[in-house]
Parts: sequence; C-alpha cells; structure tokens
Amino acid sequence: MFGEEELVKIHKDRAAILSYIITAAFGLVLSRLWYLQVYKGETLHNYSIQNRLRKEVVWAPRGLINSRDDQLLVDNIPRFDAILTPQFLIDNEETLDKLAKILSTDVTEIKKILKKNSNQARYRPIIVKKNISFGELAQIESQNADLPGISVDTFISREYRDKEIGAHLLGYISEISQIQLPKLRERDKMEYRLGDFIGQFGIEEQLDRYLRGENGHEFVEVDARGRRKRYINTDNLFKGIEDEKPLSGMNVKLTIDRDMQVAAFNALEGKVGGIIAIDIDSGEVLTMVSRPSFDPSQFSRGLTPEYWRSLVGNKEHPLRDRNIQEHFSPGSTFKAITGIAAFEHGEIDENTEVNCGGSFRLGRKVYHCWKKEGHGPTNLVKAIRESCNVFFQKAANRMDIDDISKYAKAFGLGARTGISLPREVNGLIPTKEWKRKRYGQEWQAGETLSCAIGQSYVIASTIQMAVSYAAIANGGKIFRPFVVKDIYDSQGELVKTFTPELLSEITMKNPKTLKFVREGLFQVVNNPKGTAFARRGQGILMAGKTGTSQVKSASADKVYQKCELMDYESRHHALFVGFAPYDNPKIAAAAIVEHGCHGSSAATPVVEAVMTQYMKKYQPEMYLANLEKDKTIKDSWIKSLRAAQPVKPKPAEPAAE
Amino acid sequence: MNQTIIQFLKRYDFSFLGSMAAIFLVGVLNLYSATHAQSHEGLDLLWKSQIGWFLFAVTVAIAISFINPKTFERFAYFGYILTLFLVLLVLLMGKVGMGAQRWLILGPIRMQPSEFMKLGLVLALARYFTKVYPERQLGFKDLIVPGMIMGIPAIMVIVQPDLGTGMLLVFIFSMMIFYKRLKWRTIVTLGVISIVSGVLMYNFGLREYQKKRIHTFIDPYEDAKGSGYNAIQSEIAIGSGRLFGKGFKNSSQASLNYLPENHTDFVFAIFNEEHGFFGSVFLIILYLVFFMRMVWLATSVQRFFDSVLVVGIMSIFFWHAFINMAMVSGLLPIVGIPLPLMSYGGSSMLTFGVGVGMATSVSNSRNFFN
Repeated sequence: MFGEEELVKIHKDRAAILSYIITAAFGLVLSRLWYLQVYKGETLHNYSIQNRLRKEVVWAPRGLINSRDDQLLVDNIPRFDAILTPQFLIDNEETLDKLAKILSTDVTEIKKILKKNSNQARYRPIIVKKNISFGELAQIESQNADLPGISVDTFISREYRDKEIGAHLLGYISEISQIQLPKLRERDKMEYRLGDFIGQFGIEEQLDRYLRGENGHEFVEVDARGRRKRYINTDNLFKGIEDEKPLSGMNVKLTIDRDMQVAAFNALEGKVGGIIAIDIDSGEVLTMVSRPSFDPSQFSRGLTPEYWRSLVGNKEHPLRDRNIQEHFSPGSTFKAITGIAAFEHGEIDENTEVNCGGSFRLGRKVYHCWKKEGHGPTNLVKAIRESCNVFFQKAANRMDIDDISKYAKAFGLGARTGISLPREVNGLIPTKEWKRKRYGQEWQAGETLSCAIGQSYVIASTIQMAVSYAAIANGGKIFRPFVVKDIYDSQGELVKTFTPELLSEITMKNPKTLKFVREGLFQVVNNPKGTAFARRGQGILMAGKTGTSQVKSASADKVYQKCELMDYESRHHALFVGFAPYDNPKIAAAAIVEHGCHGSSAATPVVEAVMTQYMKKYQPEMYLANLEKDKTIKDSWIKSLRAAQPVKPKPAEPAAE
Repeated sequence: MNQTIIQFLKRYDFSFLGSMAAIFLVGVLNLYSATHAQSHEGLDLLWKSQIGWFLFAVTVAIAISFINPKTFERFAYFGYILTLFLVLLVLLMGKVGMGAQRWLILGPIRMQPSEFMKLGLVLALARYFTKVYPERQLGFKDLIVPGMIMGIPAIMVIVQPDLGTGMLLVFIFSMMIFYKRLKWRTIVTLGVISIVSGVLMYNFGLREYQKKRIHTFIDPYEDAKGSGYNAIQSEIAIGSGRLFGKGFKNSSQASLNYLPENHTDFVFAIFNEEHGFFGSVFLIILYLVFFMRMVWLATSVQRFFDSVLVVGIMSIFFWHAFINMAMVSGLLPIVGIPLPLMSYGGSSMLTFGVGVGMATSVSNSRNFFN
C-alpha cells in the first residue's frame, strides 16, 4: 500500500505531461493566430473593410441643353420624394395619419402602397409620394421627431422646360431595362448597369456620351443587415477604396431657336404633323417640331402606367417623329424637282408651252389634272404656280425615270441627309434598276408620270424636302443638316464645335433652270393665281410649293371629290415646302400636316408662322424691307388684274393647289 | 488579533483569485467594447451584470476556500447525484415544455445545470479514483465504472441537446484518466478505436446535413453566407486585428454586427480584432499561468483526492478555453463553448468561482487544516 503523499508522487510524471499538453495546445492556438493575423492579416484586414463598406453611385449631373439663342431647354432640378422605411416605423396608425395629413391624401392610400411593397425587406425604403412640394417637404422635415421612419429622398430630375415642344428632337432619358442592358453594352462598349439612366431618343440619345458625364462613387459604412451607418472618410484606407467625385456631363448648344420652336408648336396646334426649318447657307436646323408630342420629363423618373397608356393608346402616335423618322409621298412639292430635271435635260425651256386639257392619256390610262377643266396653255412658271399635273407629266413622258431620279438624288432625296439624330429614314427615289431588283419587273412608262408629280414610289421626309428646297434657293449646295452647334464642358470651355458640312454642289448645265423654277415657286405664294397665295404672310417674301400626299389612291369617280368629305383616315396629307426671302434666301422649311387635305390651308400657315418668327428675330431689317416689297407686289398684281378683268378686281381664291 | 489576520493573509493562497480577477478584468473590458454599440439589441448593459456575476462568483469562491477539502471528498458523490438530478430535471421539463431546454428557472435565477454537472463529475471521479486501487495503472476493465459515471450525464446532456457540453464531459474525463495513469497501451488502443469508429461513423452513421457541417468546417467559404458565415466572419475579425489590433472599442465586426454572438462564444475573436496577436499572447499567458499553477498544485498536495480534484478542475477550464479559442480561430468546428471569464454568462462564471474556491481551499489546506 502507498501512503497518500506517495500516491501523489507517482502521478508527478503524468502531471508533467499534462503541462506539456496544455502548453502545446495553446502553442497550436497561437500559431493559428499568427497564421491569421500575420500571414493572412493584410488580406483579412481588407476583407473586414470591404465587409462594412458599400460602394454607392454618385450620379453625375447630366449636361444641360441650350438653344441657339441661349435659352435653357433642358435642365436638372432637384425633386423630393416622401419615403417610408417600415423597419423604423413606430406607432403605425398615428404616424401614417400625420403623414396622410401632410401629403393631403387618405391613410388607406398610403396603406395600399405599403401593402404593395410588403414583400420586400423592411429596411428598404418605400416611396410614398413622388415629387412632393416644398411645403410638404418643410412639414416633413420640421415634424421629423413625430414621424419615425418617414424621410425625404432627394433626386435630380431631368426637366424639359418647354415640355412637349420639340420633345422628339430633345428626346428623353430613362433607366436601362433588363432587355436593353446586354445590347447597349455591346453597342457602346460601356459597362452599363441596371438602373443607369441613358438617353433613349433624340439629342439625349445621340449625344449621350457627352451629356452623361461620369458617375462617381462614395463609400458608406453598412452594418450586417445592409443599413447605412455613416459616410466614411476613405483617405486612410487602402488602395482601391477611394471616393471618386462624379464628372459633370457636357453642356450642349443647339442650332435650334427656341422662339421658332414655340411658333412652330403653336402653328401645329390641333394638327398632326411636323415642321423642320434649316438655314440654307449652313444646314443648321433652326426648328424641328412634331405634334402630337409627349412630355419627356415624365420618362426620367419612370413613367406612370397611366401616362404610358395615354401615349401608346393614342391613335396619332405621339412618340413618332414626323420630320426625320417618317416619310411620305411628297406630292406636288416634288414638281420643282421634275421641272429642274426637264429643264436641265433640255426637254423644256422657259418658253415651252403645253396645253393642259384637264387630263393626259397614255396608252389606255388617263391621268387627271387636279383642275377638271384644265389649265389651258401652260409654261413652267405657270405650271409650278398652279400645280399643273399635265405639264409635268408631258415633260416627264419625254424623259426616262432615271433622268428625273438623277436630279432628285442630287437634290438630297432618296437617301438619308445624315443629320446627327437617331433613326432617320431613307425616303425613296425609284430607278429602273431599283424596280428590277425590288420587284423583278420592268419599269412602266406610266409610273414615270406618277413619279413626276411626287406620287407612286417617290417618298421623302420633311427634312429631305427642306434640304432640296434649300439647294434650289442657294444655287445647288447640299449641306448636311445638323442640330448641335457647340459642346462645352461643365466649366464652360468649348470642347467641340460643329461647322457646316458641304456635302455636294450641283452645277447646273443651264443657268436659267433655277431662275425659272424659283420664279414659279415665288408665284405660288405671291401671285393671286398661286396655290398658296391666300397664306402668303407678310414680310417674309416666301417662295414655295404646296402638295398633297394621297393616303389612298382615289378611284376615277372620286378624283374630284372634296377631301373634307372623306373619312379622316382617307384624307390626303397636306404639305408645304419653301424658302424665304425670295430675293435673298436665308431659310428653307418643310411642313406636313397629316390628313390636312390642302397644302395651302393646312401646311402653309405652319411654315409661314415659323418663317415670320425667323425674319422678325434674325433679319429685322430685311423684314421691314420685305413689308415694303409686299406692297409693291400687291400693287403690281392688282394692276395686272384690273387690266385683265376691269369689272371684277377681286383676287381669285384658289380652290386647291 | 491583528497578528493572526496578517499571519492568515500571508498563508492564504491568493494566486487563483488573483488570476481570476486578472482574466476577468480583461474579459469585462472586452465585453464592454464588443457590446457598447449594440444598444438596439439591449446588449450594451451586459458588462454591468457581468460584474455582478463576478462579484457573486468571487464571494462564493472565498466562502468555499474556507471549507476543508475533506468535506469535498465526503460530499463528492452527493454533489454528483445532486447535479445529475438537476440535469435530469431540466431534461424532463424540456420534454414537458417545448423543444430544447438547458435552463433551470428557480424564481428570478436561471441556471444551467449542465455547467455544474462538470464539477459534479470531477468530484465523483476524484473520489472514485482515490478509493478504488488508487495506486493501480488503469486498464480497460478499470474504465467501466468511471466510464458510467461520465457516460450517464454525458448522454443526458447530449440528449438535451447540448453536444458541446457532452463532448466536454468526455474530454474532462479523458484528461483525468490520463492523470490517473491510464496505461499507454490502452491509450494507443483507445486512439485507434476512436479513429476507426470516427471513419465508420462518417461513412455510415452520419446524415448528409451532418456531413455538410464537417465540410463547412473544412472549407467555410463553400457556404459563406450560410453555415460558413460565422466561421468566416470570425476569421476576418481575428485576422483584421493583425499584430497590434484596431484598438479598444474599434471592432467593426462587432459594432456593425457582422459577427453574431459577439458577447458570448465569439468574444475571443473580438478581443483579437481589437488587440491583435500581441494582445492574444498576453491573454493566453494569463490563462497558462492559471493552469500551470493548478498543475503544480496537483503535484504538491498531501492528499491524492485533492490532487485528482485539482487536475479535474483545471481540465474543466482548460478544455473550455482551448476549445473556444480553437473553434473561434477555425481549428475546430463551431460548437457553443464559452471562454471562461471572457464570455458573458452567469452559470459559467459561477462554476469558475466554485472551481477557484476549491483549488484555493486545497492550496490552503497545506497550511491551515492539518
């Protein structure tokens, strides 16, 4: 038997081993700690920072858009949303009652919104009301303590100051959708993210890379549940975790005149159509308006379903631009081109007279002039003035379609003008070759007759017509139309300026061609027998051509049916294309009024309004001088009328073109 | 009279109480630092109740330190039976009530009998080893009765279910039989058996989700947001402390709640984040001093019961400390084992107080009671 002390003694070596085991165990822990804290310390330290930091986008202010006369067209304005974070909501009923009172809505409305969002995380704020007023903002801020969970979110809204005016030109911005994302990334080679705003239409789309700027970011500290704790000063953190200030987008100055835009918009009141006006010596687009229109501001914060429905459900298609994204038969406005082709081709000269008996027969088909009884003996000037179909058809009959097409294309038709705006249409000027390829058929002589008066295959947009008439006015120079004058950075430094681009210059074989075509166009407006005489305006000394574009080809018995008696859908489109002033041309414009019936009554006033605005603003002296010239012209035609019809000195009001 | 008090104080062993106070001081500061920002969870005042528990535990320790260790020996089985009864009570109440139950609620006091079960086990084993062939080296046959003493409460605790504490009982038992001269041959055989049965268990006994738990331990990044989350956040907290730490109250993992349970099981991670590697070296030295002093005490007492008792008490705290540190730093899978004196918790603190009281009593007995 062992004594007690003896017993303790024989266990001593086991105690020693125990002390080694204990030391070794803690040695193991310490070596693990060394591994984590020294070997992997830097990495894990970075993890701990990344853990609690969230990179938040700081949106770059988008560039502003100004008109040529330095009026702000597109602005960024801070707006406020009332938001509610369910997590912090205390005393639901009481708080919601108070909020409803401030926002002057019903509590049930707010509850409905909450219910709709009840499946999302409770820390995520819900927008209760968008765009609250300053009064509401002040009340929410001042009663902050009594409104737990309620706060105000600030955001920058894209504001289009003239709302619907020129919306198609300016375009809009909206969030990149899930569907768009991959396509846009591919197209622009940009790392877009869902929720980024991007120009989706018009200038906003075309100049997006200038206007957009570069988003910055900042880091905020978030807890494990993603709640934002505070802003972090990232100066002392490691590389890669640095705030970056956003880079403001560039400001843009357009060639567009705001006052002319307003005039154009008002002139199109109640109509469906568009007008475009360009400077004939540079191609600067001065006006571009399409109606019906939309309010682009609505797109920047997500469209309300009601507004979207009102746009999509509208039969007049407010989202469609009538100037560059639509084309149509130019109708009689094309006769100026046919006239030039015939003159240049030597088929006619200023003295050539053709007898218009009201119709022209080719083979078994009869081509009617709009004037049933015919125009009688007609020369080029008269044919343009009174829009005689038979004259141009007889002239065309002696030519080939390719001869006409050659001139039409030279004058800028049948191909995109190259304006720097998205989705411009081509229009179409047919040739024999084209028809063969397109339909596998030979060209018919009768088709030439239809094309000669701007029907059949011939289609063009208002911008193309404006370019071609500008070339008639300026002696054959085709400029690429453009809408952006200058681009400035946010400091106001000029970054890029756009100069006129002369695409081609047509040399006329016969120097008299343009002279007599212009004379004809002048008489359209300024001669009592001219088709647009009734809408000639004052002080602009306009020259131009009316036209109708048949929506449905009329059967023989309906050729002379009054347009106004037809169904709205079947009525002709009304056109007017012109330039001014006649003796010193500065501006060319083209307008279309869908289902407007008569170029003179529907489309001419639109052009006249824009040109009058232009003359008053940019050529005030010429405007005054033109008023005098108007009087002289008036005297001269009164005199000539008296000589011809001494009994009734009344100007004849033309029925149509 | 004064003379006697001075004499008494000179002979009283303050080393265990001193160690306890030193570790507690570090612990309560760390607890305050880890929880100060968590007012919304109502945790920011925990450090105050922790101080309360400490004062209570110290009082208990001092009171026990005046008891003659012979009394412990006399009441050893009684203590074991009592704690076993409490554990059983909890088990039955848990069955009656809903789901898992580890707490016994006596009026305002909630206690965790499985904590005290460890002490009961240590007492019973010390008593048994002292009485039955104390000089003999242990073989397989000699393990049958001690195995049952340990096995009954261990199974009851595991059924609660509290696998961590159950395993702890096994580890404490192992350390004590090792001290009681378990034959090397038996140790090797037991080692082989446990490895083989472990492999067999893994291949045939474990369900898929249990296997998955082992996988997440081996590579927590496999399920970083789910079952691996705590392990990863804990490693991040420790590693981000680097050599010198982020400083007092500067733990972002705790204040932003990335690391859950940062006042209980993961206090060591927060301590590492704030005080770095050198801080941990300091803390581990405090623990080591405590354990080594106990091992030394075990070899310097006159009675064998005292020796085995002290080794048992030491092993309770050693396993707690080691398992907690190892699991927090990713050496072991995450099981809910608190770090003595650092983690928040009254029962654990009280166990520690009782243990320190017994050790002090044993130490003092060399001078006083003979």
